[in-house]
Amino acid sequence: MTAPFMDAPSSDRTAPAVDPAAPGPAPAAPGPLRRTLAAFTRNKLALTGAFVLLGLLALCYLGPLLHPTDQTHTDLSQASLPPGSPGHLLGTTDLGHDMLGRLMYGGQTSLEVGLAAGLLATLFGTVYGAVAGYFGGWADAAMMRVTDAALAIPALFLLVVVAAIVTPSKPVLILIIASVAWLSPARLIRGEALALRGRDYVHAMRLMGGGGTRAVFRHILPGAVGTVIVNATFQVADAILYVAYLSFLGLSIPPPAADWGSMLSAGITYTQVGHWWLIFPPGLAIVLVVAAFNFLGDGLRDAFDVRLRKS
Amino acid sequence: MTADPLSATTRPAPGPAAPLLAVEDLHVEITGRDRTVHALDGVSLDLAPGEALGIVGESGCGKTMTALSVLGLLPKGGRITGGRILFQDGSGRPADLAAAPEPALRDVRGNTIGMVFQDPLTSLNPTVTIGAQVAEPLLLHRETTRRDAWAKAEETLRLVGMPQPAERMRNYPHQLSGGMRQRVAIAMALVCEPRLLIADEPTTALDVTTQHQILELIDDLRARLGMAMILVTHDLGVIAKRVDRVAVMYGGRIAERAGVRGLFAAPRHRYTEALFAALPERAAAERTTLATIPGLPPALVTRPVGCRFAPRCAHATARCRTEEPALAGEAGHAYACFHPAGAEPVAAAEPAAAVDSVPDDRPTDPGILLDLDNVTKRYALHAGPFARRRGAREVGAVAGVSLTVTRGETFGIVGESGCGKSTLGRLVVGLEPPTDGTIRFAGRDIGALSRRELRAHRRDVQLMFQDSYASMDPRMRVGTILREPLVIQGIGDRAAQLRRVGALLDDVGLPRGAAERYPHEFSGGQRQRLGLARALALSPSLVVADEPVSALDVSVQAQILNLMRDLQREKGLTYLFISHDLAVVRHLADTVGVMYLGRLVETGPAREVFERPLHPYTRGLLDTVNAPDPTAPAAGTPLTGETPSAAAPPSGCRFRTRCPAARARCAESEPAPTEPAGPGHRVACHFPLVASPGPVSSG
Amino acid sequence: MIRFLVKRVAQAVVVLLLVSVIVFVLLHLLPGGPARAILGVKATPESIAHFNHQQGYDRSLPQQYVMYLGRLLTGDLGESYKLNQSVTSLLAERLPKTALLAGLSIALAAVLAVPLGVLQAVRRGKAADYLLTGAAFLAYATPVFFLGLVLILVFSQQLQIFPAEAPQADTVGGLLADAPALVLPVVTTALGIIAAFSRYMRSAVLDNLEEDYVRTARAKGQSSARVMARHVLRNALIPLATLLGLYLPTLFSGTLVVESMFNYPGMGLLFWNAAQGSDFPVLLGVTLVVGVATVLGSLITDIAYAVLDPRIRSVS
Repeated sequence: MTAPFMDAPSSDRTAPAVDPAAPGPAPAAPGPLRRTLAAFTRNKLALTGAFVLLGLLALCYLGPLLHPTDQTHTDLSQASLPPGSPGHLLGTTDLGHDMLGRLMYGGQTSLEVGLAAGLLATLFGTVYGAVAGYFGGWADAAMMRVTDAALAIPALFLLVVVAAIVTPSKPVLILIIASVAWLSPARLIRGEALALRGRDYVHAMRLMGGGGTRAVFRHILPGAVGTVIVNATFQVADAILYVAYLSFLGLSIPPPAADWGSMLSAGITYTQVGHWWLIFPPGLAIVLVVAAFNFLGDGLRDAFDVRLRKS
Repeated sequence: MTADPLSATTRPAPGPAAPLLAVEDLHVEITGRDRTVHALDGVSLDLAPGEALGIVGESGCGKTMTALSVLGLLPKGGRITGGRILFQDGSGRPADLAAAPEPALRDVRGNTIGMVFQDPLTSLNPTVTIGAQVAEPLLLHRETTRRDAWAKAEETLRLVGMPQPAERMRNYPHQLSGGMRQRVAIAMALVCEPRLLIADEPTTALDVTTQHQILELIDDLRARLGMAMILVTHDLGVIAKRVDRVAVMYGGRIAERAGVRGLFAAPRHRYTEALFAALPERAAAERTTLATIPGLPPALVTRPVGCRFAPRCAHATARCRTEEPALAGEAGHAYACFHPAGAEPVAAAEPAAAVDSVPDDRPTDPGILLDLDNVTKRYALHAGPFARRRGAREVGAVAGVSLTVTRGETFGIVGESGCGKSTLGRLVVGLEPPTDGTIRFAGRDIGALSRRELRAHRRDVQLMFQDSYASMDPRMRVGTILREPLVIQGIGDRAAQLRRVGALLDDVGLPRGAAERYPHEFSGGQRQRLGLARALALSPSLVVADEPVSALDVSVQAQILNLMRDLQREKGLTYLFISHDLAVVRHLADTVGVMYLGRLVETGPAREVFERPLHPYTRGLLDTVNAPDPTAPAAGTPLTGETPSAAAPPSGCRFRTRCPAARARCAESEPAPTEPAGPGHRVACHFPLVASPGPVSSG
Repeated sequence: MIRFLVKRVAQAVVVLLLVSVIVFVLLHLLPGGPARAILGVKATPESIAHFNHQQGYDRSLPQQYVMYLGRLLTGDLGESYKLNQSVTSLLAERLPKTALLAGLSIALAAVLAVPLGVLQAVRRGKAADYLLTGAAFLAYATPVFFLGLVLILVFSQQLQIFPAEAPQADTVGGLLADAPALVLPVVTTALGIIAAFSRYMRSAVLDNLEEDYVRTARAKGQSSARVMARHVLRNALIPLATLLGLYLPTLFSGTLVVESMFNYPGMGLLFWNAAQGSDFPVLLGVTLVVGVATVLGSLITDIAYAVLDPRIRSVS
């Protein structure tokens, strides 16, 4: 909320100053990338997030190789088995699908749509926000009012309306979610671009005769790259949640396709009879993957901030 | 209603042997994220009732930590690890504040010891009324009703010179100017009539004229209320006439402790001596090299062996590096130095770095490099698409400034904050276009240049930023930063550019290895060196320097000023030097322009302007400056009041509302510049001080 | 202040117009255009052409927009072809109930989040702080429907304390009369907001504790508790008003899910049912109203912020 307090005259005290009298060349300082990486690996939560994600990816994509299941045909003889049943570690659904296999299969959809939509939204939002922020003035005002209006309509309502208009397939679902999710990165990057444009080092570059291209590519974009990457992780987390919400509301890719949200939705009716194993595996999987992306994003934010904070 | 309600209370005068405050061998450590700093290492001080003690030193010397320790207000991670702080609160035996529990400290804070902090903008709560904030200590420490506390708060506001105190009580801090807020802060500290007032850099964030008013107020109140005071400051000028005794701190220890006159006349510790020599005010003549202190103060992460100043001291011997000198000396003048300076006055002493005068070898026929003709810059008060249409609401930051800068000179621009001096600098370098008027560089109107010509013109004019750190991309290595101007302008191939970077680092006295480092790895002074190096990369003829040394400590400031002067001589540079600090401008500038509220009120040769000012504002500014000399004669007529808003400047002469000599004519017509005292010294005043025989200020 | 108000209201009006444009665009994205959406899938081409001419859907888009806006301003949002009722009257029935759910959730969130945030700030780096931080991260990552399901399983199926279905009354008073049935929907809606607000309070209090004015207050001899109550809390709470405005879209999204899960008779349930049955006039009507409510809500919170903060209140 506020900048860390630091009074001007204290700069001499806190800086690990170079001794101008030191003989010989100083050892090269590590570059920003290496420092970012070092800071990231020091953050235990972020590392945990990264490992959890790797684990989930392995489960969803390598898991089916070790534990092949049939997720298209129903087998009522095997319906609604509790966890621990022979051959069905997590039990089966009301239609006889193996829960563990379904979790892997549904996870593929959730992760693919989430990643693709989150990245697409970040990409479009970044370009839109950077353009608005760099040009400023009327263009900025007009572009930002549009995002204001779109943000005023809660995302879920927009998603539901769009999903009700078109029948989603995987690519369509990605586009639908991205078409709503780009708004917040657009605003964020626009603010970042505006702030960076006013920095003294950009003024300094202009005074050397440098132009807009150089300002954008050498100073503004590298300055914003941390923000963009951090935001992308949060966007992916949000997109995974959106997929789940849409599926839960019955507006996602129609069966027999599955994802974690639709698995939960299918399980609701059976909560009455105590089939808890239909709810918890997909629910916890969503919580786990979203939390992992959030931890990753937090860790990255700290890592990217590190060089600025230590100044 | 008495005008002075606080002095009604008379206190029993304790015997001369009983100090009000005695700090004994105080040790303080501050534990940060990854290191522990030994901020104070055996500090001893004492203070008699009613006495004023000044604590001076550069950033990080421990002066503020000493003050904060007394009230137990050390920052997070800070703790007292040894020593005692004995305070006589008037109720019997002195209490040890270093060991006192929190509730006992709370009884002292704001009650028997009041404290005023540096920044009046941030040290008041923005969402609580002035009245409630001033009355708060009373409600905490006195058995009083809300109504009585409110009345007493209003009395105290009147006491600190707040106009219309009853109305101000209901205001919020942001509705007051910086000077008025500091008065509120003082009222808050005094409302319980403390026995001791601790003021930590109380005027550092304020303009010269406000600074003077606040110091006068503190002086006056101290005399009337008979309280003791500790004045913590980095500014030797501030304490020169305000305190009885001075403690000079260095590296978490007291280096020297003496009566103020004795210290200023004959400092004994080599650090104090060097500090005085580095003051631009002390440079004998205007165009001389300042004495500097090489290097930086110790970081205090490890406890240094020997004298803490030894690594930077010209007189250090082997003993200084292995053995720590104790604070000793004659009565009333103690110093911790094995090789103290003689008792002779400092002017005659030969300090660490020799003061050698610089021969004036500038070209005889310089010619005009920069010519400003009636340059004006107005800003819309409320930005936005409709702002211009509504018109009227505009601020004239620079209003019709005309001046000429000749090749090879240093043109200094002085004025208080908001006078438009920084905006003028931005206009000259072309960061913004003027609203009106022309700027000619080497005879060419830069407003009429084509894109291509403007790009080439950039080589000739460069800006040295106040905050060099902010002006360097934190993601780039210094080498890349210094090379960027050459790359943009397409000068030389890569190898040539790298050679140039090396040469630039040599020029500004940094090791070549610095090119591989990042800006955040450098200290404030080193960053200013880098800023200067980059400004020089394109071999410009004009460098505009906007407050280049205002964030630096005195010893580092002297290094940068000397460097700027040396490079000017070597490379034939012209400087437009913008500063609020009269002493720095006087030291460096050949020609001076004085700005007030967007107007250039006086220009002329530096010596002329400073010794025989023609404009009442210049005169007032010079009289207001706190000379670092306790024996300087009392100033003539310091400036009073506050600068009016630039959005609605006074009619006629803009200075008339604060001018002691203002008459009817000043409100009617704007004075045109004249040269009443001879060619080259212009003044915009209806009644210039031509025949003024007043004493020559040393400021 | 006046200047700020005028500017802020003007901005809200522009955004409101743009919201109506977005809904208008969505109307035209419908398969077969507005006519097909309103007349249903079985309409003949002739009836569609007739309808289009009658409703002016054969004119240029800007003209259509002006007509659409005119209808909006007279409160005409069309007819639900599933419920045979005007969308306006449906909304008039349902809106107060959603407002009740949202209001109770916000109230619960504020009552819990402020002390939790302050507690975390005061106990920074201690067990309580870590525990609550972990809980907040968990709450961020938990989809509202999963949380609702877990709460139903625990409190309704297992413990049988609260019913799994929301009260089914026609009036707001009737809903309130069945308070136990309101508990699970309100808690489910509030939890994410509690997490967000307590995180905000934690960092706002920590930031304010670093401010110079806190040191000044301590230098007056105030105890930590009094500094917190008299100085820090006031400064930390004021921006909470704007944060509330920013969270309105999230809140409404939450009520949509909660209402459809607990069968709560509000706007969200209406919307969800309309989505299942492709009842486009209702879908777009609710979307528009939710958008308008968000814009007006954030306008109100911004004005509240300006009134609460003396720095904005007393400027010009």
